[in-house]
Amino acid sequence: MAHLTEGTLRRMVDDPAASGGADARHFETCPECKARYETIASDARAITSLMAAPELKIDVAAAFDRVRSARAARPRFGFRLPVLRPGSRPMVLAFATMIALVGLVVTAIAEGGTIFAPTTVTPVPVSVADIQALSQLSAYGTLTWTTKPNLQIVTSAADAEAISGLKPPVAKLPSTISTTVTYAATPKAVAVFTFSKDKTAGAAASAGKNLPAMPNGMDGAKLTVSAGPAVAEIFGNMTPPKAGSDVTQANLPQLVIVKSTTPVATSTQVTVQQLTDYLVSVPGISPELTKAIQALGTGTTLPVPVPVEYATSSKVKVQIPDGTKVDGVGLGDNTGVGAGVIWVNAGSVYAVVGTIKLLDALEIANHLT
Amino acid sequence: MNLGVRAMATSRPDDEVFEALFTAEYARVAGIANRVLADPHEAEDVAQEVFIDFHRLHSAGAQYAPAWLHRAAAHAALNRLRGAKRRQRRELAQATEEGDRSADPQHLLEVNEDRRQVRQALARLAPRPAAVLVLRASGLSYAEVAQALGVGIGQVGTLLRRAEAALRKEIGRGTSN
Repeated sequence: MAHLTEGTLRRMVDDPAASGGADARHFETCPECKARYETIASDARAITSLMAAPELKIDVAAAFDRVRSARAARPRFGFRLPVLRPGSRPMVLAFATMIALVGLVVTAIAEGGTIFAPTTVTPVPVSVADIQALSQLSAYGTLTWTTKPNLQIVTSAADAEAISGLKPPVAKLPSTISTTVTYAATPKAVAVFTFSKDKTAGAAASAGKNLPAMPNGMDGAKLTVSAGPAVAEIFGNMTPPKAGSDVTQANLPQLVIVKSTTPVATSTQVTVQQLTDYLVSVPGISPELTKAIQALGTGTTLPVPVPVEYATSSKVKVQIPDGTKVDGVGLGDNTGVGAGVIWVNAGSVYAVVGTIKLLDALEIANHLT
Repeated sequence: MNLGVRAMATSRPDDEVFEALFTAEYARVAGIANRVLADPHEAEDVAQEVFIDFHRLHSAGAQYAPAWLHRAAAHAALNRLRGAKRRQRRELAQATEEGDRSADPQHLLEVNEDRRQVRQALARLAPRPAAVLVLRASGLSYAEVAQALGVGIGQVGTLLRRAEAALRKEIGRGTSN
């Protein structure tokens, strides 16, 4: 047989049992491989001693305290990104944007009366810090879920439909997209934000200010937002990577198609507009939170917050099944690293996002039924 | 649409999961950074930044969490190493620290000179070979190195061998100058 590779010999230095039977037998009888092994082993030993480092004495509890206080100083968006691979910023942006779309609406606020049911979308450039600032809303009231989102991963379209009550959309996909499909579905989720005069006064006081005059009925006003149900089709391998496989590829879905009933917001006692206007007038409210609240759309337009650090956005036209075109938001570009399209049609929000070109995402969107 | 909310639906609070991840991985993450920087204080800085970064965008329960942290620690520390000013400051700090421990000034000089040369050479390597050396020297198994770098386990031996040869060559170049 051929001589052993450098890689195999190097591994034998660390783990003599690692090489299989044929390799081991060859090695035993091959003076050349033995000589190469000696050179490699001596290099390895030399490097080990060169790479020595001063002793590290750590106090894990103290370190955790420092990290925890740093986290508190930099509050982040309350949603996690569960299926992202490390270092995949374009996917982070795409998912963050989709999730922010739900998150913003769920966490907050809509304008133009007591009912908000968007019929179209528009991109709103925000920074990640702006989105994260939404967690500061807890200083002005209480956010509770009356029905928590309950996302489940299933393997069949029928199961997904049973959970969400929505039929997964049918897509015409390019042959480059994996045919492995997984479904995610969640029933409707409902969140209630209750405005608190006392909490808001406390927040203003910590900024050394008094509260501005409060409209009647503001204390205890409730904003109820429902999101979903939603169903998603995830194309590409979702299974955990096997040992030895390329972890950066294995965990990354190639394409995600989402359909969700449009979020609806209702308010009690005051209009949504009064609530948001008052919130941004409170002394001590951070500029980031003000921006996040003000980014929240007008009337029947659902804002798609686009983190400016990660994504570019554009307005696009999406063809719906009856042949007409509706306004949509395009994310990303044509490099193929990551792109997506989001639009609203007939009471549902749709998103097509993946490691594809924007043109391809648009093509898939145009043929979605 | 609600892909991001899975964490909220699980029974165990995410903060708890994050703390468990931190407790399990902090020593290794700091160890990787220390292997690169040869400076315990700066290494802990890097390690804490890495955890904060992770927490901002990922779920603590993510399967890839340890691999992500290991890779991020290696790269973040290597990036710092490449900053010239920091390197000088670190050497000063290191000399002071070693002074407490070693009774033999000649030995101390030699240790410092070796470490300085190795770190300079490491900073000149391409990111991947540098990371392979650091992760393996920090005690990660072949499987863990493979996960952190997103390569097949069968490639680790080859990458390691090439990286060791490259580092020796760089050190040689550094001393002949």
